[in-house]
Amino acid sequence: MSQAQHSSIRNRLLKALSQDDFALLQPHLQLITTELRQPLIPSNTPVKQLFFPEVGFSSITTQGSGGRVETGLIGREGLIGAWPILLGSDRTPHDQFVQNAGEMLVITTEALCAAISRSASLHKLLLRFIQVQITQTSQTAYVNASQTIDVRLARWLLMCHDRIDGDDIRITHDFLSLMLGTQRSSTTLAVQALEGHRLIKAQRGKITILDRETMEQVADDGYGLPEAEYARLIEGA
Amino acid sequence: MARFFFNVRHRPGPEGLAVDPEGEEFADLNAARERALSQARIMVARERHTFIRDWMGCAFEIMDEGGQPVLTVPFSDTVPESDFD
Repeated sequence: MSQAQHSSIRNRLLKALSQDDFALLQPHLQLITTELRQPLIPSNTPVKQLFFPEVGFSSITTQGSGGRVETGLIGREGLIGAWPILLGSDRTPHDQFVQNAGEMLVITTEALCAAISRSASLHKLLLRFIQVQITQTSQTAYVNASQTIDVRLARWLLMCHDRIDGDDIRITHDFLSLMLGTQRSSTTLAVQALEGHRLIKAQRGKITILDRETMEQVADDGYGLPEAEYARLIEGA
Repeated sequence: MARFFFNVRHRPGPEGLAVDPEGEEFADLNAARERALSQARIMVARERHTFIRDWMGCAFEIMDEGGQPVLTVPFSDTVPESDFD
């Protein structure tokens, strides 16, 4: 397989690297295709590989007696597995799996750690990404505690929209309920509310974003903080 | 097993019905009713929507696979009837 070229990379984190830092990782990156719900990092198991999404995205979920709830979303802006590995753990109590199928560049934990030990700037950039992840998780806690379900749905759809090409998000109400931590019928109500304002078009198993601008207004301050932090910390905006 | 669809009525008119496009399978209508009640209990207790002011005015309009209405379950059925006259 030909090696990934920096100029053709879609992962924003890899794109933000200097040529020298990218060169440290490049020989170790292997492109794989991913399938819906494919486990990437199982909970409480040593992390052997990390994943830079090129196309598609993944969910971080936590499971308890109340069921499974999504606590984070990582797509082409990030590195799946960075959080536990760079913070000195070899595993995480949370599950990460593919939420939207596509392609990812895989690197072994060993190769990533070796590259980090050789480059302070690479290490710093990845730590900054973790700072953005912590911000995203905190915002999830905020919206779950204080926002209505239609606002939470708008936020979640915007976050998905940021991580796909085009406007179609493949998702069922059943799975959406899992992601939002709501009853399935609550999801049905929230979908109808956004559709009634012509912000989305819902078909069975698919939601199409029609009016992103207004949806950002609906999502209010539930959306935008981690995205702005990403722009500031990673892309120097 | 039969598939039942849990449409939610939240105000009068066609725009006041949130249509369930997926449905869920149950052994019988009674099991579907129990599911409606358990969802309603959780929604009343902890789920808020911008455009729903009072869950007690809402009802599940359960449909069968043929699109026929088979049962209405008002959210107010989650509240036990008073023992006092």
